[in-house]
Amino acid sequence: MGAAHSASEEVRELEGKTGFSSDQIEQLHRRFKQLSGDQPTIRKENFNNVPDLELNPIRSKIVRAFFDNRNLRKGSSGLADEINFEDFLTIMSYFRPIDTTMDEEQVQLCRKEKLRFLFHMYDSDSGGRITLEEYRNVVEELLSGNPHIEKESARSIADGAMMEAASVCVGQMEPDQVYEGITFDDFLKIWQGIDIETKMHVRFLNMETIALCH
Amino acid sequence: MRTWEWSWPSQPGADGEDHLRPALFSGGGRWPGLHPHHVPAAAFDSLIVSLLGISLTVLFTLLLVFIIVPAVFGVSFGIRKLYMKTLLKIFAWATLRMERGAKEKNHQLYKPYTNGIIAKDPTSLEEEIKEIRRSGSSKALDNTPEFELSDIFYFCRKGMETIMDDEVTKRFSAEELESWNLLSRTNYNFQYISLRLTVLWGLGVLIRYCLLLPLRIALAFTGISLLVVGTTMVGYLPNGRFKEFLSKHVHLMCYRICVRALTAIITYHDRKNRPRNGGICVANHTSPIDVIILASDGYYAMVGQVHGGLMGVIQRAMVKACPHVWFERSEVKDRHLVARRLTEHVQDKSKLPILIFPEGTCINNTSVMMFKKGSFEIGATVYPVAIKYDPQFGDAFWNSSKYGMVTYLLRMMTSWAIVCSVWYLPPMTRQAEEDAVQFANRVKSAIARQGGLVDLLWDGGLKREKVKDTFKEEQQKLYSKMIVGNHEDRSRS
Repeated sequence: MGAAHSASEEVRELEGKTGFSSDQIEQLHRRFKQLSGDQPTIRKENFNNVPDLELNPIRSKIVRAFFDNRNLRKGSSGLADEINFEDFLTIMSYFRPIDTTMDEEQVQLCRKEKLRFLFHMYDSDSGGRITLEEYRNVVEELLSGNPHIEKESARSIADGAMMEAASVCVGQMEPDQVYEGITFDDFLKIWQGIDIETKMHVRFLNMETIALCH
Repeated sequence: MRTWEWSWPSQPGADGEDHLRPALFSGGGRWPGLHPHHVPAAAFDSLIVSLLGISLTVLFTLLLVFIIVPAVFGVSFGIRKLYMKTLLKIFAWATLRMERGAKEKNHQLYKPYTNGIIAKDPTSLEEEIKEIRRSGSSKALDNTPEFELSDIFYFCRKGMETIMDDEVTKRFSAEELESWNLLSRTNYNFQYISLRLTVLWGLGVLIRYCLLLPLRIALAFTGISLLVVGTTMVGYLPNGRFKEFLSKHVHLMCYRICVRALTAIITYHDRKNRPRNGGICVANHTSPIDVIILASDGYYAMVGQVHGGLMGVIQRAMVKACPHVWFERSEVKDRHLVARRLTEHVQDKSKLPILIFPEGTCINNTSVMMFKKGSFEIGATVYPVAIKYDPQFGDAFWNSSKYGMVTYLLRMMTSWAIVCSVWYLPPMTRQAEEDAVQFANRVKSAIARQGGLVDLLWDGGLKREKVKDTFKEEQQKLYSKMIVGNHEDRSRS
C-alpha cells in the first residue's frame, strides 16, 4: 500500500517538527478533516462549526491566532487566508504539555513560546507592543455580550490594569512620562516566576492499545 | 401496428421476422413444431427458467412461512436471535485475526477513544482564575480579584480545547466502533487484514447484497402495501369497536413485517409501563426506524408533517383507519396551532397516545440533546421511552447532512441487522413548581440514564443553526460579574 508508506513518512516528519506523537497526530488529523469538511485547508469560516466555541468571549481572537503569520512562523505580521494541516498542528503545538524529560533550557524555551503566543493575541496590530488601546480591546471583548456592563466601566478596568502592569515593568513613572506599551520583554517580566505551564496546555488522553477497527 | 400475440414462435411472421418469443415467461420446450435449430437454445433457456422459477418459489415460501405469517400473529421463531449470536461469534473471530495480524507486524492498533481525545479540566471559571491569581506576583496582596493579563489564559485554553475536541459536533457523526463488524463502511483503512479475513468480508458482501437485500426489499414492499391497502379498507367500515380492533391489528401486523424487513432484533423492557390513551410518548431520536420499532409494539397516533410521494400515500391511508395528527407544512411553524391540536387530541380519552420525538432531529445515539419544550407544555402524562441501538451490527444513525433517505434505507437494508433495546420508563407528570423546560429536562435525564446515554444540555438543532445568544451571555455574565463586582467594591472602599 504505497499510500500508507508516504503517509507514515509525513507523520514522522510532523512528529519531528511539532513534537506530537503519531497517534495524537492521527487524532488531530481526523479532527482537522471534520473541521475543514474533508478539504485540505481550513478557513476562518470553518470555525463556525464548533458550537462550544461560540460561548467563548475571545473567540475571534482565538480564531485569529490560528491565521496569524507570526504564530505560523511565516512572517512578522498579517493574516493567512487559509491553513493546512501542518499549520494547524503548529498552532496546536503551542498548547502541548511540557515534557518532564526536557531539560531546563528547553523548558524555558517552551515557556517563552507559549507566552509569545499570548502576546500575539493581545498585540493585534503586530506593533511589537501592547498599547493601551489593544489592552482595552481585550478587556472589552472579555466583558462583551453582557448588557449590564457599560463601555466606560470596561475602559476603566483596562486602564487600571494597564497602570499596574506599567508599574511592574517600568517602576515608578514620572507624572508626564508616557507609557508606550508592554513589550514582549516586559510581558515576560510580568510572568516571571509564575507557573503558567499548567494553564497553557491541553492534556491528551492515553490511547489504549486494543486491537481494532483500522 | 402489430398486436402482441402468443403465437407459436417457430413460424416466421408474414414480414419475415420472428415474433418476440414468449418463451421467457413460460415453461419452454413443450411447444409442438419447434424449428430444429432452436432446440438446444430452447433447452438451455428452459433450464434457466425452471431454476429461476424454483428458487423464486422457494424464496417466497420461506418468506411467507417464516416471516410474514409469524408477523401477522405476533409470534417469533427465534430465528433472528440465533442469527445475532452467530454473527457475534464471527465478529469476535475477525477481531482476533486482526489483532494477530497487527502483532505480527509489530504494530499497535488503537481503539478510538469515544469519550474524546483530551482531558478537559473540570474546574470552573472562578476557581481557575483565583488559582492563577494566587500564584501571581506579590503585588496582589489584597484578595479582591481584578482583571489581570492572566485571565485570558482560561478562555484561551478553553477555546483550544473546544477546537480540538468538542462535545456537540462529535455527537453528530456515527459513534466510533470498537470492533470490526465486517462492514467496509466503518471509517478506517484496512491495514491488518489477512487473506482469510478478506475472503470472509467478500462472502459477507455477497450474502448481504445478494441474499439479504432482495429478501428485505420484498418484505418491505409487502409490509407497506399491506399497510396502505389494509388501512384504506378498514377506513370504509363504520366507526365502532370492530373498526378499532381491526385497525389496531392491521397497523401492528404491518409494522411487524417492516421490523422483519430490517432484521431488527428488539428487546423490550418493562412493558408494563407502555403508554396509554390520553398520554404522550416521548423517546430519543436516532433514525426514522425508531417509529417502526415503537409502533410494532404498541398502537400510537403519529404526529408529523404531511409529505409528498410515497410517504404521503402512506400517511393518507393511515389516517383513514384511525386519527393520526398530520400537519401541513405551513401549520408546522405556528406553535400555538400545533399545541392546540395536540391538546385536543390528548384530552379525548378515546384517542391513542401520541408519539413524539422532542429532540427534533436525529442524534447519533451516544447522547440525548435538548428536548423542545412544546410537547411538555400540553399537560398530559408523559411516558418516556429510551431507545439504544447496538452499533455492532449496523449503525442506525441517520446523518441527514450526509445521506438522503433512500441511501440511508439502502444502508440499513445491507447491514447485518439492527439490534436495539427499548425501555419503557414509568410515566411522569409535570409538578406544580416546575415549568415546561424543567419538566423536559427531567424527562430527558431519565431517558439518558436508562439508556446509558450522555445527558447533554445542547440543542439538537445546533447541527444546522448557530448558538442562541442567551447561551453566549451566560459565560460572559459570570466572568464580568466577578470583575465588575469586585472593582466596584474596591472603588467604594
